[in-house]
Amino acid sequence: MESLSSTTLEAIQLLLSGNAELWSLIGISFSTTFKAILIATPAAFILGYLLSSTRFPGRWALISLFNSLLSVPTVVVGLLLYILLSRSGPLGDLKLLFTETAMVLGQIALAFPVLVAMSLASFKAADQRVWETARTLGAPPWRAFATLLHELRYGLAAACIAAYGRIISEVGCSMMVGGNILNHTRNIPTAIALETSKGDFSQGIALGLVLLLMALGLNICITYLHRRSEASA
Amino acid sequence: MNSHQESLLSACQLQKTFGDRLLLNIDSLAFYAGEAVLLSGRNGAGKSTLLKIMAGLESFDSGTLSYRGAPLNRRAHRNIGGKVIYLHQQPCLFDSSVEANVGYGLKARANSPQAARIHQALTWSGLAHLAKRNAQTLSGGEKQRIALARAWVMEPELLLLDEPTANMDAESREQTLFLIRRLINEGMGIVLCSHEFKTDHRLIQRELHLEAGHLTERRLNPAAEPSSTQPLLRYTEA
Repeated sequence: MESLSSTTLEAIQLLLSGNAELWSLIGISFSTTFKAILIATPAAFILGYLLSSTRFPGRWALISLFNSLLSVPTVVVGLLLYILLSRSGPLGDLKLLFTETAMVLGQIALAFPVLVAMSLASFKAADQRVWETARTLGAPPWRAFATLLHELRYGLAAACIAAYGRIISEVGCSMMVGGNILNHTRNIPTAIALETSKGDFSQGIALGLVLLLMALGLNICITYLHRRSEASA
Repeated sequence: MNSHQESLLSACQLQKTFGDRLLLNIDSLAFYAGEAVLLSGRNGAGKSTLLKIMAGLESFDSGTLSYRGAPLNRRAHRNIGGKVIYLHQQPCLFDSSVEANVGYGLKARANSPQAARIHQALTWSGLAHLAKRNAQTLSGGEKQRIALARAWVMEPELLLLDEPTANMDAESREQTLFLIRRLINEGMGIVLCSHEFKTDHRLIQRELHLEAGHLTERRLNPAAEPSSTQPLLRYTEA
């Protein structure tokens, strides 16, 4: 117990000391996850909207597929992406394996189903009158869609936060396609795994604290958005 | 009515089904500029569906629609918004300020003096003092009046009102009906589903009754011409 508390104190000191290596991999973590969310969100929201508002053969199969993908292990996504990006794979010529771009691609693949499933739920629960009112007042479809997004902003923001929570803490995919290269593709979860295997618990705990604080912040945000969403309903 | 006058919006051989039920089976229907039409029928007869179809908000199975004599294809029909405006029974105001709601439709119109028009519309509705309030915080009656102001500011050719005074208290209903009477008196083409106007033959020119999918027409006020110049009559019936 004493050892745990002293290691935690050491971890906090390490964080506060501005250790360049530590803050570099924290930066990589946030950079890749933000890029992944920014890229995945528009397409996922449009798909979520289309799935909620249109009827076509195979629609329920597609919805079931995205719901199933919510629980797919990150390491499986990493494995598939590894096969695609490895030198002998169909996308091997792009030479993306063990790059930050490969990590972003993996995180997009993980975040996309969360964004689609949660935005679909928001769009299905949306008041149909919003779209109709916008259209009858002369708004073109893109503006009516923007109005709908605005009305559903709390639910959709919660979807982004949930997707972000899934990818900021995943280790399997980043490890496989990123390679855990210091100052390039090492992020918080892969660094925790590495430092723990080396017996350097203080750095592992320091990074774990960052993740825990992040998880706490995200949950507070989701709770706040959920309450706002209920209040505006 | 007005066989010599070109219709504003018309439908021919219009059919709409829900599952196995043929909800609408209308041979012909025409609305004219500046006339006030009452659409009656029991609950579930398809009045709202008919209004939404005419406004381009709902699809139909067969038939043709025309706007000012020109056939409307599906794309053109969906883009009729702003000229033909449909108001829901429970108005939908966006989660923003009252003035932003009133100015929503104006944003698409270039060179429109928005601020002045919004102020005019709010004054017209008698709710200028609520301009900065969030629209979600208004009462049901205030929301309906803002929805009317939001439509009025667009100067539509036809306004389709779906039970605009349903579930309102007496005061809100009177204020809302007063605004509707002003709209009719100003010469705006109006079609409304309402029980409130049944006996008022001074402003309503035609009654269309929807039953078992079919429309029957009754002329209420043969003398009244569209764009009536009658003085504004404040609503006094309970």
